[in-house]
Amino acid sequence: MRARAHLRVERDGAGRHVVRELRSAAPLTLLPARTNGTALVHLVSSAATPLGGDDLALTVEVGPHAELTLVGVAATVALPGPHGAPSRSSVRLTLAPGASVAYLPEPTVVTGRACHESVLVAELAGNATLRAREVLVLGRVGERPGTLTTAVTASRDARPLVRQHLRVGDRELDASVASLAGKRVLATELYLDGSTPAAASGEWWSCTPLAAGGTLTTALADDAVTAVRRLGLAAAARG
Amino acid sequence: MSVLALMLADSRFPGGGHAHSGGLEEAAARGLVRTEADLPAFLSGRLRTAGVLAAVFAAAAAHSAAGRVDNWSTLDEELDARTPSSAQRSASRAQGRATARAAAAMAVPSVDNVCGSTLRVLLAATPRPHHAIVLGAVIASPPDAALVAAYLSVSGPASASVRLLGLDPLRVNGSLAALEPLLRSVAADAAASAALDPAALPAPGAPALDLLAEEHDRHHREEVRLFAS
Amino acid sequence: MSFDPTAAEPDRHAAPPAAGRPLRIGVGGPVGSGKTALVAALCRALADLELAVVTNDIYTTEDAEFLRRAGVLDPARIEAVQTGCCPHTAIRDDITANLDAVEALAERFPALRLVIIESGGDNLTAVFSRGLVDHQIFVVDVAGGDKVPRKGGPGVTTADLLVINKTDLAPLVGADLDVMSGDAHRVRGGLPVVLQSLVDTPGAPAVAEWVRARLAAVTTG
Ligand SMILES: Nc1nc2c(ncn2[C@@H]2O[C@H](COP(=O)(O)OP(=O)(O)OP(=O)(O)O)[C@@H](O)[C@H]2O)c(=O)[nH]1
Ligand SMILES: [Mg+2]
Repeated sequence: MRARAHLRVERDGAGRHVVRELRSAAPLTLLPARTNGTALVHLVSSAATPLGGDDLALTVEVGPHAELTLVGVAATVALPGPHGAPSRSSVRLTLAPGASVAYLPEPTVVTGRACHESVLVAELAGNATLRAREVLVLGRVGERPGTLTTAVTASRDARPLVRQHLRVGDRELDASVASLAGKRVLATELYLDGSTPAAASGEWWSCTPLAAGGTLTTALADDAVTAVRRLGLAAAARG
Repeated sequence: MSVLALMLADSRFPGGGHAHSGGLEEAAARGLVRTEADLPAFLSGRLRTAGVLAAVFAAAAAHSAAGRVDNWSTLDEELDARTPSSAQRSASRAQGRATARAAAAMAVPSVDNVCGSTLRVLLAATPRPHHAIVLGAVIASPPDAALVAAYLSVSGPASASVRLLGLDPLRVNGSLAALEPLLRSVAADAAASAALDPAALPAPGAPALDLLAEEHDRHHREEVRLFAS
Repeated sequence: MSFDPTAAEPDRHAAPPAAGRPLRIGVGGPVGSGKTALVAALCRALADLELAVVTNDIYTTEDAEFLRRAGVLDPARIEAVQTGCCPHTAIRDDITANLDAVEALAERFPALRLVIIESGGDNLTAVFSRGLVDHQIFVVDVAGGDKVPRKGGPGVTTADLLVINKTDLAPLVGADLDVMSGDAHRVRGGLPVVLQSLVDTPGAPAVAEWVRARLAAVTTG
């Protein structure tokens, strides 16, 4: 299945953050919600997706000084396709100066025979700010994960802020102290807002300033609840 | 491989490497590495993440040095973006600066035979360069620079394990030797990507290693650590 | 005491510091011999000078902490370096971390005239690299027995100044100071030796004078 969804948010003359364009494409369904402040849009994966062979892309444009919160409502489960074909999902965020986006999808669960590639590209202009969360769960309970590669790329005015690729599902690497240290859940949150907090860390979590401004919080845990709690500690340390 | 490359790979090279454990000290403090049996997994994991990144940037820097391309700030910025941990960035820059200092005293013949000219241009653009980039700038051969960077990513922690945990140096050395095929393939892949646009270079992450580096740094400030990283 | 701090004895490795950088003096010697106590005494005795200290701890940041707590020096003037379990490597084979610390201090305090570098406690063979320090002081104590100077080793024989510390303890440990002093002079071929007790003379006057003479030599030389 190939799907291209699109979302455009702008700030109108009255200072309201409005959804100007919203194009869902099954299985990617975008549901706007009413709020008085930021534009709020739910991202619903309407079928059990992605399946092997799926190619899902969402592009999001946020205009000058517009605010968008994009949340996921169901956990993404990367499932094997009929012929073991890889699946791919990509999200591209383009932020104009002054725009502000919180991208908070639900966890990605990498099931046993999944072969999935997930890409997040964020292009920020001027003083735009982005908060983006990612929670990866290696397999359902008691299950060994298939393979997942993630690529996160963020830039501001065409200069790189973060580029991170990760490979999950290689047993040796997953178990290694270098990559996931045998933990089942990796949770990260990027704050691309020009903040430069003092580094802070604790047992399996950290909050670290990025070189070009912004913060990365990271947590590893054996289960998602603990991972999110640790990520909360890191976020709190961010101040 | 050039003599220069051999010197840079030597554990006795006075570039400050002996004070860096590459995360081994923190891993040991948490009981994640205790004996010789734990070491191979630690080393190969490190090589496949941090080692790949170092090899990739050493090769790209060597490519620039060989072609006299002055893209040092771009490489610096791209490696920064691939090193989200501030502790890892400081460790890399501390070793980079020290390596540059030692290399400056080696009268490095750059491609145009003007001693140290590459190094001068590099240091003018980035006074505290990343370690991998200095290695590439000095060695100026992508395959050699990649192999040296990959090797250093594991030889330092291996040596630290001997000093810190009293592991059997012969077995530790054996574990290093066993990485030979992986070292070769990491270096070959890195050399193959050397000519890419820096923005397109691979960006392998190492979440746990980064966490350990941050924790190491915190312990450093609060209590006792024997290694700088 | 056979040492005249005002005499300008020859320095076998005379290496005047490059113009514009602080003089660097290393303080080495075995564990517990009194290096930190001497550094603290020097900080007090030389308080009129722009000075800073680098410590190399093996197991803890004890030395730096002691100096900070002792309040003899502004904490910003103390840098601790990590030696990766190899104190002698950090002062001799790969002096990177120490050079970085010295440079950081010199950047922080542009008027800095003197940096004292205390090595981690090590064995008798550990000496400072000439690339790191201009002069070095080796501190042994009487509690190790009066055989120590006789045993020699590069620290005892080649240091620019040998300090035999804790002379107040000599009667308690049965150490013969004359033997120690005699042996020390014999193995050192004319290089100066100071016998001192930081309990009896907390200001380490002889060593402080020797340091001042080294500084004077830079200024006039
Ligand atoms: N009795 C006596 N004790 C001394 C003298 N000088 C130092 N001490 C004591 O000896 C102990 C060790 O002194 P330090 O200055 O910490 O020795 P150090 O050489 O710096 O030790 P490390 O850094 O651990 O190698 C301390 O308890 C000092 O108070 C002295 O002249 N006489
Ligand atoms: Mg001491």
